[in-house]
Amino acid sequence: MVVWSRIRKDFPVLGELYEGKSLIYFDSACMSLKPVQVWEAMEYYYKYLGACGGAGRSTHSLGQETSQLTEEARVKIAKFINARSANEIVWTRNATEGMNIIAATLPLKKDENVVTTSLEHHSGMLPFFKKCQEVGSELRIVDAKPDGTFDASDFEEKIDDKTKIVSFVHASNLTGTIAPLKEVVDISHEHGAWVVSDEAQYAPHAELDVQKIDVDFSVLSVHKALGPTGVGVLYGKYELLEQLGMFLVGGDVIEDVVYDNGKIVPKYLPPPHKFEAGLQNYGGMLGAGAAVDYLNNIGMNTIHNREQSFSRRLLEGILELDKFDVLGPLDYKQRASLVSFRPKSDAMNHNDVTEYFNSMIPNYKILMRSGNMCVHPFQYQIGINPGKGEGVTRASLYIYNTVDEIEIFLGELENFSRALD
Amino acid sequence: MSEFEERNIECVLTILKEKSPATTKEIMAMRDLFPELCAGCSSGGDVILAGKQLVEQGVVERKWTSEGFAWKLVKFQSSD
Repeated sequence: MVVWSRIRKDFPVLGELYEGKSLIYFDSACMSLKPVQVWEAMEYYYKYLGACGGAGRSTHSLGQETSQLTEEARVKIAKFINARSANEIVWTRNATEGMNIIAATLPLKKDENVVTTSLEHHSGMLPFFKKCQEVGSELRIVDAKPDGTFDASDFEEKIDDKTKIVSFVHASNLTGTIAPLKEVVDISHEHGAWVVSDEAQYAPHAELDVQKIDVDFSVLSVHKALGPTGVGVLYGKYELLEQLGMFLVGGDVIEDVVYDNGKIVPKYLPPPHKFEAGLQNYGGMLGAGAAVDYLNNIGMNTIHNREQSFSRRLLEGILELDKFDVLGPLDYKQRASLVSFRPKSDAMNHNDVTEYFNSMIPNYKILMRSGNMCVHPFQYQIGINPGKGEGVTRASLYIYNTVDEIEIFLGELENFSRALD
Repeated sequence: MSEFEERNIECVLTILKEKSPATTKEIMAMRDLFPELCAGCSSGGDVILAGKQLVEQGVVERKWTSEGFAWKLVKFQSSD
């Protein structure tokens, strides 16, 4: 049985006062806090190793242990998402870089198209927009419904036999929508199209089985899953990773660079190393492995069930006040553990809402995010104009949050809403 | 403080010289009057961060109102 109060102690910042106030951290969709175990894993690298990793690079003891531990971390990630092999796991800086790798190296032809949605994070959309512009291919957009959900039939209209890839967000960082990924994968595969899923907001909160879903590529940001900043993961079916071109080139991605009669002939390594140019974030990789261990020790289903009950209370509590518009589906079962909302009255800038909770409440700082969450197209679609400074406030939860924190927030939100009368 | 932050502070200060007090939302709406100066001040968050710096400097006061934060110039800052 999980003792949640003990888990909370692994995040010391939550036990500290900041400017004399207790912290309630509701910004995990942007950046999760990191448990002690993650820092310790990183500290081990920096304190006791500090050497180069990478197969065959530095074969001395420190280099060998670095290579061994980072490859063990890769195996942990592979098991975490049920990849067939650790060779399907590419280390990146974040989900954004993963998307850019796929888009940039995708063998896309001019008469082919790419499908994405209006609800994508810019990182799931713009790399493919750029690629299509460069190649002269068509980028097709599936509009999310106004409540942030999707009809699989809308994908059937957009995907055809010329669709190369579909970029699709599994859990939206704006509306919290949990999308019908498996249905979209099946539709795409009927047409021979690949699917890349943006798992930045899903994988940290629920069990992800890439084999069961049969998704072709997935990208994750480890910093949203208790891990260190600057570490991400690109998953790809091995035979598809082989078909992608090169991204960054230089050291660590080559088997040999032959110099023959004044000509350079590089021979590149197979996946995953062909995508990991230069010396890597070894300390971060160890931290990522520790983060996965931490999540596995609790259990992803346990995390999902707890967060779902919390996000239900959060969602229903905000709706009960009847002073705020909530983005996304109103059924908590269709949502990830975040709620984006905005005052029904257009009286104030959304950043004022966040700053109010950061600085104006006695005893607490409730830390949330305001803005457009890098999902401008969907907001334009539903009548929020980011170009005019309009946006939302987002409260997002994770394993260290408590029911008491949600109740404190809802009480303060009620106080706040009186200013809107 | 970065050059970027300094510029945003200058943007907010310049707007407050035109209209004080002004809410975050009003300041956002007035950025278009100073497009070059306020080019980097792209969100209400930028306005708030700049405003808080000005509060710390004692140049501006901040008050919570039914329309959000109102920022009031309390000390004129010479440009030289």
